[in-house]
Order: sequence, then structure tokens, then C-alpha cells
Amino acid sequence: MADAVIIVALLLVAAAATTAVLVRDPVRQALVLAVLGVLLAVLFTTLQAPDVGLSQLAVGSALTPLLLLLTVRKVRRRGRKEGPRR
Amino acid sequence: MNGWILAATVALGAGAGATLWGVATGPLRRRVVAQNLSTALACLVLLLLAQGYDRPSYVDLALVLALLGPVGTLVFARLLADDLAEDPPRAWGPTYLVVGAGAAVVTALCVATGPSRASAKLLVVGALLIGGNVVASRALSGGFSGLRRG
Repeated sequence: MADAVIIVALLLVAAAATTAVLVRDPVRQALVLAVLGVLLAVLFTTLQAPDVGLSQLAVGSALTPLLLLLTVRKVRRRGRKEGPRR
Repeated sequence: MNGWILAATVALGAGAGATLWGVATGPLRRRVVAQNLSTALACLVLLLLAQGYDRPSYVDLALVLALLGPVGTLVFARLLADDLAEDPPRAWGPTYLVVGAGAAVVTALCVATGPSRASAKLLVVGALLIGGNVVASRALSGGFSGLRRG
């Protein structure tokens, strides 16, 4: 019975990861990835590994979405700039 | 399994499940709000787990998440400003629901720990959580129009 919280966290992580694969738009994928990072941190905490969860929080909740969104923005801008020439 | 872990399990199953559904479906405005709420909910779950496992040092995780969750939402609010300007999110109901839940959980934890440095830390986490969540929601709904030059 004490493992219920671990099972719930595992199921949520599995669902979030599957969703991140199934969503096709990169911007929306970044949103799902942010949620996945936070859920992974909760899973690590339930497995008594709070130090891993701490680094996962730092990377997953703010850094990964920031890098993804900056990349998407740069690609879109380049496409807009070079689009009419082609 | 004590009551705190049970509460954390229920909050994780119901709340994070709902935010996961919200972030996976629907228009973009609903997805950003769901992402914001998921960080606040996870912060509450981490606080409850710290009390349930009887390890006060686990509160550090909730502290980091209370700081970084709104930062992540502000990243989305800033970089998706063009998309969100056409269809601004209005979700004060769920935001106040989560803020109320946060206040209730922090109060319960403070009562459980008693007056000490630990409860002062809990109060700091609660203040960061509530303030950050309100600021992030306001940024998402276009409250800071000076920042919209994305």
C-alpha cells in the first residue's frame, strides 16, 4: 500500500512521455516536456532520490523549454526571412 | 502509509492527471495555463511528501520548484506572446483554486510542525508559490503589456 504513490507517479510519467511523443507541434511538445520534467522530479522524490530530483527540476522545468522555444523561434525567423526568396 | 502520503497520492493522481489532460488537448491558451498549474500542484505534492516521509530536507525541492515553476511559465509567456495575444488565456478560477489549496496545505503543515525554523521555511515556500503563481497567471493573460515585444 505504501507503494501507491510510486505507482501513481510512474503511471503519470508514462502517460506524459507518451503524450510528448504523440503531440506533433514543437511548441506544444515543449509544454508537455515541462510537465514531464516536473513529474519526473516527483517520481525521483518518491523513490528517495531527492538530489536527482533537484537537478531534474532545475533542468526540466525551465531550461529545456527555454532552449526548445528559442530554437523554434530562430528556425521560424530564418524561414520567414528566406521564405520569399525561394 | 500515513495521511500525508495519502493526501500527496490523491493530489498527484487527480491534480496532475487533470493538468496532463489539459496540457495534451485543447487550444494553446488552455495548455499554458495547465502547465502553470502543474508546477504549483507538484510543489504541493512535494511539500506533502516531505512531511509524509518525515524528512524536512525534502522541502528544498518544493522551494526550488516554487522558484523555477513561475520562471518556466514566464518563459512561455514571453516567447509565445504573439500566439497568446490573439487568444489570451483567462483562467482565474483554477488559479485561485490552486492558490487556495496551497494556502491550506502550507497552513496544515505549519500546524503539524509547530513554530520553528522549519515552519518559517514552509511559510517562505508558500509565499513564493502563491506570489509566483499569481504573477505567472497575470503574465499569461497579458497583464504586463510592456513585455509584449516578442
